[in-house]
Order: sequence, then C-alpha cells, then structure tokens
Amino acid sequence: MKQGDQVGTIVGSSVHLTGAIKDASDINIFGSVEGEVNSDERVVIEDTARVKGPVTAREIIVSGYVNGTVTAKERLELNASGTIKGNIDTKELLIHSGATFIGKSIMPEKESAGAIADNETFEAEVEEEKDEDADEEDDNEDILAGEDKK
Amino acid sequence: MYYFIFDAIKGSKGRAEAEKIKDVAREYSILSASSHISPARSASELVQDAMSKNFTTIICVGEDTLINDVVSAIINLCETPVALGIISTNPTSLLSERWGFKSIEEALETMKYRKLERFTAGMIDPNHFFLSSARIECRKPTRFVIEIDHFKIEAVLDRIEISNNLYVLLERFGKERSFFKSTFNWLAGKENTYADRSVFKGKIIKISSNESIPIFIGNREVAKTPINVFRKINALNIITKRDKIA
Repeated sequence: MKQGDQVGTIVGSSVHLTGAIKDASDINIFGSVEGEVNSDERVVIEDTARVKGPVTAREIIVSGYVNGTVTAKERLELNASGTIKGNIDTKELLIHSGATFIGKSIMPEKESAGAIADNETFEAEVEEEKDEDADEEDDNEDILAGEDKK
Repeated sequence: MYYFIFDAIKGSKGRAEAEKIKDVAREYSILSASSHISPARSASELVQDAMSKNFTTIICVGEDTLINDVVSAIINLCETPVALGIISTNPTSLLSERWGFKSIEEALETMKYRKLERFTAGMIDPNHFFLSSARIECRKPTRFVIEIDHFKIEAVLDRIEISNNLYVLLERFGKERSFFKSTFNWLAGKENTYADRSVFKGKIIKISSNESIPIFIGNREVAKTPINVFRKINALNIITKRDKIA
C-alpha cells in the first residue's frame, strides 16, 4: 500500500467490530459491526454482514442485515437477500423482490417536489373553477340584459 | 557527499554487486564513505558514525531489515535533517516496489539528483520505526483484540500486517467450505484454502492477544503483544525518482 493511496475499509467475515467506522472512501462489510458506519463514498453490506447502528454514505447497497437508520445521500439499493430494520432516508431507492424492509422511508427531495406538484394541480383546479364561475356570471349578465330589453 | 551503508556481504555475488555500486558511485562523484553492517557494527552505530562526520545524506543498500534499522536510527539519533537514499536489494519487497531501480546506474543517478520527498514512518513502542511494514504471523489461529482510533475489533486471525502509514491488513486462512469451490480447486490443481481479509486505516493501533505473539519488522523481532503502533508523519526525507512519485 503506497503512501497516499485511497484504500477503503474492508470488514472481513471473521471480524466483529464495535465502535464508529468512518472512511472517506468505500466501506465493504462482510462481518459484524455494532456502531456507526459512515463513508463519503459507498457502503456495501454483503450477504454475510450484520450491522447494528446507523449507516450513512453517498451510496449504500444492502445484501445483509441492517438494524438502524440508513441514510444514502444519493442512492440506496436493498437486494433480495437484504434486510433493513429501521428508517431510510434517500434520494433514489431500489428495493428488489424478496428483500425485507421494516421501517419508514423518507425521500425529502421527492416529497418537496411532490408538494409543489400537488400545489400546482390545486392552483390549476382553483383557476379552472374561477373561470367556470366567471363564465356563469357572464351568462347570468346576458340573461339579465335580455330581460331588461324585453 | 554521501555516506553509503551496505548490508552484510553474502557470498561473492553480493560482494561483486556492492563493489559495482561503489564504482558507479565514485564515477558519479557521490561516494565519500562506505561501511558494511556486521555483528560488530550495527546500523545504529554506522548512522552515528555518519552523523559524527557531518554527512547529511545516507544511502542505504540492502534488504528490508537493514533499511528499517537505518530508518529507526535516523529518526532516533539525528537532530538535524538527513536525506535518506534507498537501494533495495530484495526485488520482492514493498520497498523495492517503491524505490526499485532498473539498474545500478539509474539508482545512483537518482541519488545524485537528490530529489527529496517526505515520508511517514510507522512506530512500534519503544522507538522501533519502519518504512516497509510490521507483521505478526501466528502458527495457529489466535484471538486478537485490536483497537483502531474509535473502534475495537475482535477476531481470530493468522496474520496481521501494518504498513508505515498505518493501514492494517488482517488475514484469516481456512479450508474452502463450499463443496463446489473445493471441487473446482481440486480439479484445477489449486490449493483448497481461502483467505478472509480485512483492511482498516488508523492513527493509533493497539493490538493485544491472549498469548504473547512476536511482531517483526523485516526479519527482526522487535516486540511482543500487547503493542501500540503509531505513525510519525513526514519523519523522513527520502530521495525519490524524478519521474515517479511514490
């Protein structure tokens, strides 16, 4: 390993780790971790892995077991063999058939975008209703004008 | 001018190689003094000799054990900055990968040009410094507790290797358990073993085990578990190739 090399962290299957792991590069977990996992890049939780604690990264791929909050800044993929027991917070979510997810999912960007879209629809509906009201009023005025002529 | 420290002479081939290095160094006008380590003169004594003669550049020619001994002596003894040139004679070592040269001429030309770069050294208590790696090799799988910065690892391991910038490689070897893989290995004539590897990086590493296990730098046993490993950032000025940044 050369000085300055960006070698990520690998937690082998024979390892039990307690405490907080933080790495600027990728973290691959095959063993068991009890504590916080934090990477600026990617966290891969393999089939054999068990993580008890919050997981935060740009991208997270879960094929093993996670008990804790999972926060992926960009993308979260939960594979068929994967289990997440805890809340997830991500921008992009992919859950494969067979996966287990027990918790609440939050997608802040999509939620705010959804709220804007809902407001736009609501405003459009209100405007349509206003137009209909205006037409009705015009019709009423025409009718009244006709009666006056008579 | 440079002070050359050579490994102990091993046979006529080793002697011829050392003489050739001296000849080329004389040609480049960089050889002022040279010594070979021996049971009577350790690397530490030779570094002290270079210091007493006011040399500011030491060229170390030899295997990992000698290079790490010289590194340790420079960091422990030298009060003024000293440049270190490395000519590794073990082509398979990590140091050779970093500071390997195609020829003696290329190596000595690099030494003459004297482009310096700062490097971090690993340190095992008490004051054993290393530039390559320190390692623990167990005869049988052993339970270790390893504390790295903010986390603690418990594992049964066969081998631990720590690099100078404190990357830790943990290895556990075993027989392949998958029937298909073991059959494939048998058919392919491969060994029926697997290695489970873990890699971590830290600033301070504490290693303990139930039994006392020796830790080696090169071929030298420097301590036994429990040990603390640190890093000394930018501890060395090392001569590097002009076109290659290690």
